[in-house]
Amino acid sequence: MTRGNPFPTFPSRKTRAVSKWGDRIFLVLTAVAAAGLIAVLVALVVVLYHGSLPTINALGLNFLYTLTWNPQGNVYGIVPFAIGTLLTSAIALLLAIPLSIGAAIFLTQHAPTWLREPVAQVIQLLAAIPSVVYGFWGLIVLVPIMRYDVDPILANVLGWTGWFSGRHIGLDVLTASVVLSIMTVPTITAISKDSILAVPRSQKEAALSLGATDWEVSRRAVIPYARSGIIAGIVLGLGRALGETMAVTLVIGNANVIPTSLFSQGQTIASLIANDFFEQETPLELPALLEAALFLLIITLAVNIVARWIQARFQAGRAVGAE
Amino acid sequence: MSSNQTGMNAPAANQSDTIQRKKGGRGTMIAVIAVVVVILLILVVGYSAGWFKSSNSTTNNSGCTSPASTTISGAGSTLVAPLMDAWALSYSASTVNYAAVGSGAGISDITGKTVDFGASDAPLNPAQRTAIPSPGVLTIPESIGAAVPIYNLPSLSAPLKFTGQVLAAIYLEDITNWNDSALQAINPGVTLPNAAIVVVHRSDGSGTTFAFSSFLSASNATWKNTLGHATTINWPSGEVGSKGNSGVTATVKSTVDAIGYVDINYALTNAVSFGAVQNPAGNYIVANLTNIASAVKDSNPVFPTPTGDWYNFTVENAPGAQDYPIATFTYLFVYTDLGVAYSTYTMDKAQNLVNLLLWMVGDQTGQGQTFAAQNYYVPLSTAAMAFDTSEINSITFNGAKITTCVPS
Repeated sequence: MTRGNPFPTFPSRKTRAVSKWGDRIFLVLTAVAAAGLIAVLVALVVVLYHGSLPTINALGLNFLYTLTWNPQGNVYGIVPFAIGTLLTSAIALLLAIPLSIGAAIFLTQHAPTWLREPVAQVIQLLAAIPSVVYGFWGLIVLVPIMRYDVDPILANVLGWTGWFSGRHIGLDVLTASVVLSIMTVPTITAISKDSILAVPRSQKEAALSLGATDWEVSRRAVIPYARSGIIAGIVLGLGRALGETMAVTLVIGNANVIPTSLFSQGQTIASLIANDFFEQETPLELPALLEAALFLLIITLAVNIVARWIQARFQAGRAVGAE
Repeated sequence: MSSNQTGMNAPAANQSDTIQRKKGGRGTMIAVIAVVVVILLILVVGYSAGWFKSSNSTTNNSGCTSPASTTISGAGSTLVAPLMDAWALSYSASTVNYAAVGSGAGISDITGKTVDFGASDAPLNPAQRTAIPSPGVLTIPESIGAAVPIYNLPSLSAPLKFTGQVLAAIYLEDITNWNDSALQAINPGVTLPNAAIVVVHRSDGSGTTFAFSSFLSASNATWKNTLGHATTINWPSGEVGSKGNSGVTATVKSTVDAIGYVDINYALTNAVSFGAVQNPAGNYIVANLTNIASAVKDSNPVFPTPTGDWYNFTVENAPGAQDYPIATFTYLFVYTDLGVAYSTYTMDKAQNLVNLLLWMVGDQTGQGQTFAAQNYYVPLSTAAMAFDTSEINSITFNGAKITTCVPS
C-alpha cells in the first residue's frame, strides 16, 4: 500500500480522500440501521408489555394456564392458542424437513447441472409468494382435497391413535399444518442447498473411495458436515411457521378451543390476533391480545435460542463450520 | 470495481484491510453522528407535519357561509367504508378522512378522542359505554344493514327457507344434519341432502354477528340464556370461524354443506345468493333493499335517548307482511359538546363537523342518504332522519349552540 503502486487497480490519492469520507458516511448509515433495528425490537417489547399491563395486573399468571378464551365472560387463557401454535408448527416441520432435505440433496448431488439453477430459482420464488396467496390456495384447493381424499384415509388407517378422530371438514389443524409445511419447504430447502454446496469435494470423495453408496455419502459425509446450516434453515422455517397469520387464519377454522384431534378446528396465537385485533367487545380484550403477542414473541425467542443451542452443540468439535 | 477482474493480486483482501482500519477507534463518534441523524430525521418529519396543518382556505356556500375547510377524521366500521368513501369524495366543505379500521377500533378511537367521529355496526355495549369519557357521546343511526343466511348446497336451486328457531338450533348444534325434520318441515318438496351441516360464523367481532345473534336471541330462549347477543359470541366447538364477510363467503363457497351469514350489502355487491327468513307475519322473505327499508319503517322504532343505552334497541322482527326480519342500524358516535371533549377544537371546526353530520343524514339532492341505494345500502327512514337531525342540532361548543350551514 505504498504511494506509486504500479498496479492500475489501485485508487489515486484524490479518490482515496473521497472514499475516506464516503466510508465515514457509509459507516454512519450502517450504524443508524443497526441502532434502528435494536430500537424497533426494544420499542416492540415495551409497547406490548405496557399495552398488556391491564391483563397482567388483572389476571396475573392465570393467563398462562387458563384453558378457555371468552371475552364475554372476561376469561382470557393463552393455552388453546399456545397449543395450536406449537402443534401446527411441529407438524409442519415434521412434514417439511424430510421433503426439504431430500430436495436439497437431489438438487446438489444428483440433479443434472442444467436442472439445478432453474429449480433453485423456482424454489426461491416459492419463498417470496405472499402468505395470503398460500392461504387462499389452501382454502380453495387443499381443503377439499384434505376433506374428501386425505382425511378419510387417515381416519381409517390411523383413527385408532386418536389423532385423527372426529368429523373431518378440511378446515382444521391438520390442513393448517400442511399449508405451513408447504410454506416452510422453500426456506429450508434453499438454505440446506447452500450449506450442502459448501461441503468440500474431498469429504464426498473420501467417502466414495471407501466404497460408500450414494445414500451413505449423503447420510454420513454430506449431511453431518452441512448439519449446522440445515438447522439454521429449519430455524428460519420454524420462525415463519410460528408467526404465520393469514394462511393459517384462512384454513384452521378459527375456534378458540384446545384441539382434541388433528381434525379439530383451532387457533394459533397469530391467527387469534389477526381475527380479534380490530374488534374488541370488552376493555380487557385488547390488553389480552397484546399479552398474547408478547407471549408469541417470547415463544419465538425461546425456540430460536434452543435451536441455536442445538446448532452450537452440533458444531462443537467440527473444525470447519459449513456456511 | 470492474478493474477487480483484471487485478493481479487479490483485491478482496485489500478491501477488508481498509474496512478494519477504519473501524478502529471511531465507534463513539459514529454513534454520536448516528443519534444526530436520527434526531434530524424526526425533526424533519415533525416540521413537515406541522407545515401541513397551517394551510387554510375559505369556502362559501349558496345561502349561508360556512367556515374555512378543515380536516374531519372518522374511524370504525369496515362495512360502511364504501359509503363513507363515496361521501368523502362528494363532500367539498371539509376534507373527510375515514379510516376503515373496524367497529371496535372505531369505538376505541372515539373513546380516546383521536377522531372526530366513530362508526360502528353495533351500538355501544355496557362496558364500552362506561369507558366513554365526559361529556359523553351521541349515538346517531347512520345507515341500515341486514344479516342474511348463505349456504352451499349444490343440489338446490330455489332459496332455502329458514326460521329464527331453526337457525338458532343449527348454530347451537341441535340440528346437525341438512335433512333434519325441522328443516324439512319448512321446506316441503325440497330434497335436502343427508349431510352434516358445516356451521360457519364470523371469527372477528362484527355488527353482522350482533344483528344475527340478536335475532337468534329473540327466536330461541336457550340462545338468549346461554349465548346472548354481542359482536363476538362464545360459539359452540365444532363450528368454523372466518374473518370478515369476505372470509365467511369464501369459506361457505368452497365448503359443500356449509351455512354462514353475511351482511346484505356484501351479499348484493358480490352477488352471493342467500336463503329466505320467516318474518313475524309468517312469510318467508328473501332480503332486498326495499323490504329492509320497509322493515325499519314498520318497526316504528322508539329511539332511546341520544346519550342513553342503545344495546337492546332493535328494528328486527318488524310486523309488516313483506318486512325482512333481521334488519339493523349502523351508528355514528360524536361527543355532545365538542369544546369540552377536545381541548384543540375551535368553533369553526365544530361547525364543520356538525355541517358534515347533517349532510350525511340528509336526503336532499346531493346529500348523504341519496348515495345509499347506488352503493347497495338502505337509506334511513324519515323518522330516523328527523331523530338524527334533532340529535345533531343538540351538539354544542363549550355550551354554546352551533350555527349550521349544510351544503347540498
